Amino acid sequence: MSSAAMMRCEECVELITDYLDGALSPSDQVRFLDHLDRCDKCPRYLRQIERTIRLTGELREDGMPEPWRAELLEAFRSRSGRDTSEPP
Amino acid sequence: MSPVAGLDASLPTGHALLDALRAGDEDAFVTLLAEEGPTMLRLAMAYVGSQAVAEEVVQETWLAMLIGLPGFEGRSSIRTWLYSILTNRAQSRGTSEHRRRSLPLEGAVADETAERFTTRGQWVEPPSHWDELPEERLLVAETLGVVDRAIERLPAAQRCVVELRDRQAWSSAEVCEALDLSEGNQRVLLHRARRRLRAALEEHLK
Repeated sequence: MSSAAMMRCEECVELITDYLDGALSPSDQVRFLDHLDRCDKCPRYLRQIERTIRLTGELREDGMPEPWRAELLEAFRSRSGRDTSEPP
Repeated sequence: MSPVAGLDASLPTGHALLDALRAGDEDAFVTLLAEEGPTMLRLAMAYVGSQAVAEEVVQETWLAMLIGLPGFEGRSSIRTWLYSILTNRAQSRGTSEHRRRSLPLEGAVADETAERFTTRGQWVEPPSHWDELPEERLLVAETLGVVDRAIERLPAAQRCVVELRDRQAWSSAEVCEALDLSEGNQRVLLHRARRRLRAALEEHLK
């Protein structure tokens, strides 16, 4: 690969999300993977992004306020009664 | 959440979910409330800031869904429809004052400027070695809290995308539909959000 075609770290970092989404062009993909092979910093960065994504997915869900839920359920029931063609 | 992946087996998906809701299946509705409510609240918060207003926006969204249900043609999934209602309402409720308001930063600025490159495109300061930490070191309340707070500080659009893509594991196509974004725009927002979250983690783990 010519030195002009070789990817620099800044560009590699810019393309990380595209790479993870499988959205790189074939030629960019080759240059990207080639850069990861030759660089000792960007693979670390990629692993950190992957870990960040995993941690984001681990965040705990909050609950829903009870009165909120009850009101919506009531609205659902009254609308469903209106929507069905069968007698209640 | 994707209509096909990761759901409780008892909750119908896709058209089955739509049919169940129209038939008045309360279990389906209650499960949908529980699954989507917390995320909807977080996304509303991205635009309006106040928890009370965000809760109103979410309530209104559910009610709008119930009203629109008979006429909903099912061309998109119920979830993407729900979130497009939500984000439209949240955006119109969000005031310009809130958008200008700068949220307090914890410690050093945790954003993409943490990554700096020379004019030759090389790292000024390379990433630190926290990728080598064992998983248990990261899966603790304190570290998760760092990510949580960093998400809250993201600009609204970045926050919405990363919540749906990375926290809720929606597909790219679903997020684009719900948030009315092109795939390219969505990816740019996701990229910026992830970079900020990574920087916040790195700062915390130094």
